[in-house]
Amino acid sequence: MNQTINVDQLNSALTSLRTLRLSVSHVFETLANGLRADHGEDGKEKFLLELQELLTNVNINLRDLEQTVTGLPIPTAPFNLGNTTYLSQETTQERQGLYTQLVNSYKWTDKIHEYSSFAHSLLSQNSLKRSYINSGSTKRRGKLQSTHNVSPLQVDNVINNIDRSYNDMKITISRPYASNAVVQINLSHVLKAVVAFKGLLMEWVMVRGYNETLELWTESRHHVFRKVTENAHAAMLHFYSPTLPELAVRSFMTWLHSYVNLFSEPCKKCGCHLHHTSLLPPAWRDFRTLEPFHDECKQ
Amino acid sequence: MGVTVLQQYPVPEHKTGTYVIELLTKRILALGATQQGQFLVDCESYLSLPQMGSTKTVHILHNSEQPASVFSILESGTKNIHVIADGLFDLLMMKLSQHYTSKKQTKIESKGPRFELGDFCVKFGSVTMNQNFKGILIEVEYRPCVMANAVWGLLREFLQGLLGPSITVQPPQHLLSRMNEIYAPIDTIYQYLEHFSAYRKVTGLRSA
Repeated sequence: MNQTINVDQLNSALTSLRTLRLSVSHVFETLANGLRADHGEDGKEKFLLELQELLTNVNINLRDLEQTVTGLPIPTAPFNLGNTTYLSQETTQERQGLYTQLVNSYKWTDKIHEYSSFAHSLLSQNSLKRSYINSGSTKRRGKLQSTHNVSPLQVDNVINNIDRSYNDMKITISRPYASNAVVQINLSHVLKAVVAFKGLLMEWVMVRGYNETLELWTESRHHVFRKVTENAHAAMLHFYSPTLPELAVRSFMTWLHSYVNLFSEPCKKCGCHLHHTSLLPPAWRDFRTLEPFHDECKQ
Repeated sequence: MGVTVLQQYPVPEHKTGTYVIELLTKRILALGATQQGQFLVDCESYLSLPQMGSTKTVHILHNSEQPASVFSILESGTKNIHVIADGLFDLLMMKLSQHYTSKKQTKIESKGPRFELGDFCVKFGSVTMNQNFKGILIEVEYRPCVMANAVWGLLREFLQGLLGPSITVQPPQHLLSRMNEIYAPIDTIYQYLEHFSAYRKVTGLRSA
């Protein structure tokens, strides 16, 4: 790995450069001041001696610098700074400090990312979750990519792939507000759902009836779809996995697809379509087996 | 508009229709339903005059659930053709009186209280033809679902629970062919017409 620059070496080179500069400025300072009172009687001699000493200092420092610089590897290509190169073209005075701020904030986010991934792996070992733990997914902490800042193309790919794997579930993507996707799902003739995404993370779900218009913020007028919306929120939180966002979306869609038999399949526990008090069909689906249950019948 | 099932409810001997409807009302209120006004479905039939060839019957129906529409069904041999029009259609039928004559004595209607219970809408209608009581029709609509096939088991369970085990619940004849279609208001009208035609054939009069 010759490409990566040894930071320690670079740092020592920079320090020696700084000391060289310091010693040179010392020389010029002494020269500018000329003879001073503390040089005494034969001030000329003393002044020359002092100057000579300072110049040898410069020499030593220069040699130091040369040594450290020859130790440095030669970069093969010019550094690619991405979009930040344009910052150098900034002409206004107060904005020229932006680059340092940028680098600092980058370091901060990098650290936060690192700490949070450590925290995530620690927290997932302690079973704070009240529902089933999908331990398989938490172990693989391979590549750490950001999940809320994904290119629209990638989001489209993930969702279109899911769309293709179901015949009776139609998924359409729209982007009414900037780059974040709002996904409409038509599940057979049973229900419609709308899911708001932030990058690849699901942020909001609303389920409404087949004969209703889709809206993100108004609840359905049917009791059963209000119940399904409530359960969909629980599922969205259950499947939430910032390290493997694609898996989370896919699992949620599989779960939502199991509502295709919302009205036709009786509850697995009591065997009835309607619960005797709520008069609702089984509006809950088990996260693993996808079996239908009444809210009151699941343990 | 959800899937709707129309079910005949027998009136026992020595009991009146009002008594049975009161009994059913008490039962559904005990389940937690709220009454939401009244409903009315009426049907008038017109016969074409002989000079137009073979006689055809046109049934004109109104449903208080779709107050701005007039439903008309033309019976021509094996096929039934329906037209859904505005309220003005009634006036048009008056203009056509030289081709179609109204059979006033067969004007039949079903009316009674309307209840809402969760996502269900239940109507208890007493059927009268020319002020003569004919029987009781119970309409149950499950509003969230639009496919009869998917929701039939659920509706049967609800009807059995409401009407008791002595009543056998069968899918209506009209729905059998349309189990996998999206339910429309005209499907309810066809079911009413089916039952009304059956009531017209029954000659015996009952006291309301």
